[in-house]
Amino acid sequence: MPTTLAPEGAALAARALEVSYQAVPVLRGVDLRVERGEIYALLGGNGAGKSTMINAFLGFVNPSSGSVHVCGHDVAKAPLPARAQLAYVPENVALYEHLSARENIDYFMRLAGMPMTDTAGIERALDAVGLDDNSRGRRLGGFSKGMRQKVAIALALARRTPVLLLDEPNTGLDPQATSELNGLLKQLRGQDIAIFMVTHDLLSAAEVADRIGFLSRGRIVEEFSAAGPERFDVRNLYRNYAGHAFPQGAAWSHPA
Amino acid sequence: MMARMASRQAMWAVAREEWRSLLRSRAALSAVVVTLLLTLTATLVGFEHRHAIESERSRFQSLADRQWHDQPDRHPHRVSHYGHYVFRPLSPLAFFDFGVDPFTGHTLYLEGHRQNSANFGDAGQSSVLLRFGLLTPAFVLQTLVPLLIGFLAFGSIARERERGQLRFSIAQGISGRTLLAGKLLAHALVAGLLALPAFAGMAYLSLTAAATAPAALFMLAGYALYLLMWSCAAVGISACASRARDALILFTGLWIVMVILIPRLVPDLASHRITLPTRIETDVAIRKDLAAIGDSHDPEDPYFRNFREQTLARYGVKKVEDLPVNYGGLLMAEGERLTSELFARYMQDNFRRQQEQSRWVHAFSPLSPAIAVRRMSAALAGSDRDSHARFLQDAEQYRYALIQALNRMHAEQVRYHNDKEQRIGQHNWQALPRFSPPAHPFAAILQAHVLPSLAVLAGWLAALLLAVMLLGKRLERKAT
Repeated sequence: MPTTLAPEGAALAARALEVSYQAVPVLRGVDLRVERGEIYALLGGNGAGKSTMINAFLGFVNPSSGSVHVCGHDVAKAPLPARAQLAYVPENVALYEHLSARENIDYFMRLAGMPMTDTAGIERALDAVGLDDNSRGRRLGGFSKGMRQKVAIALALARRTPVLLLDEPNTGLDPQATSELNGLLKQLRGQDIAIFMVTHDLLSAAEVADRIGFLSRGRIVEEFSAAGPERFDVRNLYRNYAGHAFPQGAAWSHPA
Repeated sequence: MMARMASRQAMWAVAREEWRSLLRSRAALSAVVVTLLLTLTATLVGFEHRHAIESERSRFQSLADRQWHDQPDRHPHRVSHYGHYVFRPLSPLAFFDFGVDPFTGHTLYLEGHRQNSANFGDAGQSSVLLRFGLLTPAFVLQTLVPLLIGFLAFGSIARERERGQLRFSIAQGISGRTLLAGKLLAHALVAGLLALPAFAGMAYLSLTAAATAPAALFMLAGYALYLLMWSCAAVGISACASRARDALILFTGLWIVMVILIPRLVPDLASHRITLPTRIETDVAIRKDLAAIGDSHDPEDPYFRNFREQTLARYGVKKVEDLPVNYGGLLMAEGERLTSELFARYMQDNFRRQQEQSRWVHAFSPLSPAIAVRRMSAALAGSDRDSHARFLQDAEQYRYALIQALNRMHAEQVRYHNDKEQRIGQHNWQALPRFSPPAHPFAAILQAHVLPSLAVLAGWLAALLLAVMLLGKRLERKAT
């Protein structure tokens, strides 16, 4: 069950978070905490409030009550210092099509106030995500979603932020790209980075996450961890997921 | 300190990226190149046009002066009807803004008993004065460059919002204000680039004719404010709109209202509200008033009979033949005085109405900065309605002095008896001064037109900058 935790010290923390859009409550008293070196996957059906949760961490929505902290920075009061602590990989990675991977990273590093003095930093980040040499100088126009995601994660690595937010990272990826992404996320966890992802992909979440939370109608209704007494298995997770996210009797194909 | 430096670096990065994106867009690049060529062409054409008019003016003025000089010994009254051409000198900055010149012309024919008909021409109508469409640097900068700024900048924020790039950019930690400042910087400098040929022309003039420098500086400042204002409007609208298409429609609508509609409608309203008599109406009215004054050729005309009596009494003689001066010359001088007073009255009334129309139009400049910039531009280029009116007044003063000098020669050097058969030497009119209108004090132009226009432009810019700052803050929360 969700617990109320003090935000201090956590990489990401939401406490009694409530968010409404035009008086319609979307998040209702969410408590959540993600530590450095931890992967947290938030699952939920459409309209459960997952994207709003991401927006709350990014400072794009104002909490009606409660608070959101990123590395101790209250997002509502200090959105810029909070954003400086996190890297964000959206569902559809919105990089510039007319720029190459290198140029995109260079540009966004400048926006982040961290201009790269040499190109070696960019190359190291692209090496880390495994983007092949031939693609680095090409304009992004012809990149697949997986390749774009690699560029966005390379940017996150180059920025050396302690927090990584991922919005539906597996949507549209083929199995190989999903596997590569999962491998990469595990590597980043090893580098003491806190990773928060919202996803529909139960299998991927179960593969990489240290903890999984289920969001339903704006509330975290259940939370499981990969270790300890609340240890999850895919079967239980699926049962929970289907039960909370979809109305009874709705079509749902069981993962193989 | 570090944060400010990082913010400045981020702002330049945004500006550079915007330029790169424009450079990689074939449509944007073509539009910039075409407009740049247009400004360059307009500047060169402006220089050439002004040079041609000045050369022509100089050639015709010396020809007219020579013809005036070379008149053989003749009766002074014939000299006054021989007439004389005067030409309006052009300010060096007239290359930039032809103003009313294409409608009013630069040449006047001065003759005895008649005031120049240009004083009552319809060209002074406010509705005519704002209907410019000539290819001048002023037209390009006032009308076309703002439109191009809109076409280049409408998507600067809105398109990135549509593509999710805005959200991604803001998520990197850049402040909305820095992002907007970068976009504004990019588009303001593009606008500056488009204006560069015209500004270079002004700079060249300032270097070659130092007296032009203050006017050129004010002109440059005014256009810089105007173009910066449009850049602010375009980026601000783009930041407000949720879709690039909406931003384009909104900007184009604003441009149509402020640059086309208001500057076209308001002068028409002014002409409707403050009517100016047509030349024919004025001619008829003057003829009527002239008939009421009297006929100097009619010995029984009451006014001129009285004038004759007073003249005889002043000299203490009984007959005009006994006067020590030629009564015919005195009569001409008196007739000239009366008709000139009448013409001046009509002229002043006409100018007063024109000024009222202009004041009415200028009162709308807070609604349309295009009116403000046109007013400032033509005033500094010396091609506005006021400059033309001053030329007409100066020419009329000169004409009156010239004709009265000839009437004095008639009175003093031609005997009454057998008047028409006599001649006087050409040295008499050769010694008369040439037309040389005094320079209007620059401070007066500043006070009358330039400073009020600059105040309007600065007010618009300040309001838009404030709006952009507020939008920047909003952008940090509403990037989607």
